[in-house]
Amino acid sequence: MKPVLKVLHPGAGCSLQDPGRPGWKRYGVPAGGAMDRESAGWANRLVGNPEEAPVLELALTGARLQVLREAELALTGADVDGSHPRWRSFFVRAGEEIQFRGMRGGVWSYLAVAGGFVGPRWFGSVSVNARAGFGSACGPGTELVAGEASRLSAVASRYVREAERPRFSPEMEVPVWPGPEWEVLDPASAAQFLSGPWNISPHGDRTGYRLDGPLLDISPRSMLSAPLAVGTIQLPPGGRPLVILRDGPTVGGYPRLAIVDPSALSRFTQCAPGSTVRFRLLT
Amino acid sequence: MEVRLSRFGPCGVLVRFADELDADSLSLCRGLVRWVDDHPPEGLVDCVPACTALLLEFAEPVSERRLRVLRQALRIVRPLPAEEATLHTLPVVYDGEDLEELAARKNLPVAEVVSRHAAPTYSVFVIGFAPGFPYLGPLDEKLHLPRRSTPRLRVPAGSVAIGGEHTGIYSIASPGGWWLIGRTPVGVFSPELARGDGDVAAFRLQPGDRVRLEPVSP
Repeated sequence: MKPVLKVLHPGAGCSLQDPGRPGWKRYGVPAGGAMDRESAGWANRLVGNPEEAPVLELALTGARLQVLREAELALTGADVDGSHPRWRSFFVRAGEEIQFRGMRGGVWSYLAVAGGFVGPRWFGSVSVNARAGFGSACGPGTELVAGEASRLSAVASRYVREAERPRFSPEMEVPVWPGPEWEVLDPASAAQFLSGPWNISPHGDRTGYRLDGPLLDISPRSMLSAPLAVGTIQLPPGGRPLVILRDGPTVGGYPRLAIVDPSALSRFTQCAPGSTVRFRLLT
Repeated sequence: MEVRLSRFGPCGVLVRFADELDADSLSLCRGLVRWVDDHPPEGLVDCVPACTALLLEFAEPVSERRLRVLRQALRIVRPLPAEEATLHTLPVVYDGEDLEELAARKNLPVAEVVSRHAAPTYSVFVIGFAPGFPYLGPLDEKLHLPRRSTPRLRVPAGSVAIGGEHTGIYSIASPGGWWLIGRTPVGVFSPELARGDGDVAAFRLQPGDRVRLEPVSP
């Protein structure tokens, strides 16, 4: 198979992702996968791929990619200025360059190619998790291979209507469920947790986002290692909550205050550093 | 204690089976995991056993009815005694970078640290932190030591280490703050067996397995 793209510069980071590898958490293997499942799914649908096909996930901006052969692509996710349109499929020719420039909102962009990217798999998934030893992020010179496109259509490009696209504003109300240790939090801290507001700290990555805001108090501060899920909000000893995300640990010893509603997870991962979130408790 | 089920968000069910970590909690945990493997509930995507609770994650929100059925089924699950768990004997070269400092901090001769560390038959309480990384216990109380204040950026795979009240084996090279007291040449995680669809044989140890550490010379 002939490579379709070459990474000239990875920007803030890019890697292949699919829906991940559920089923291995008992062995300490996080499920991983695309941070924003919804945008990744849209990118695939726009080029006629199955929703779970591997896509290129790009953090923030700065990436430059060179096209090595004709292909149909689609770009979704974060709101980034660039050389090519977003939320619609488009054709590229060998020699073209795809560039990511100014950042307007969101964190993660998704680039799909008709036929889907192809890469080595670990536990059934191409999702890169370098820390766990599953592949490595793209660097300058990385060549990306695509599978056979089922259809190289000459018809007008497909697009996602404005009204259907997710909007990544710098403020989000996040619906959460009470976590196992929610009851341990004293009423004043519980009220503070809900009123916030919380700022997404710049020290975040695919494993989780830290929240800056009021310092919460809880005792006991640590406990025996307990199960975690993607979206679990832990309170480490520093008093600043940590939201566990796709590549996050499978178990942890800090109180679990709340759990982000799964319907809001993809949107939450698009909260850029500095954006403001508030939590709304569901019961 | 009685098994207690509670919701963990809309798609999760937390199964609490103990208040403390001991031989009984381990047997019950092993029994519950075995039950889940033998009777996988429809729509189950992951099962995460830990010290005193087990998390069942489903693809879809769990209905009240489903929760009731699970509650009834799990209440009568019987423990699977730890004595019947697979016993592994792993050779350990006790020459870790932090062995002397740990001995000095605990005011013990190095030889006693080694003999105390190698004495018990450990249980794999939890596998976490990294793929295949076993938390072994119970650890001799005289060897408990809070983690190093500055974690190392890279701890080699196979390092045998102490962190707080646990001892464990680094399954892959990774950053880490535990005290390195030795190393085992036996890999607890084989990344090459993770390739493709992956094989459970990639993991030498299962949660609940028993482990003996055998001091060997380099």
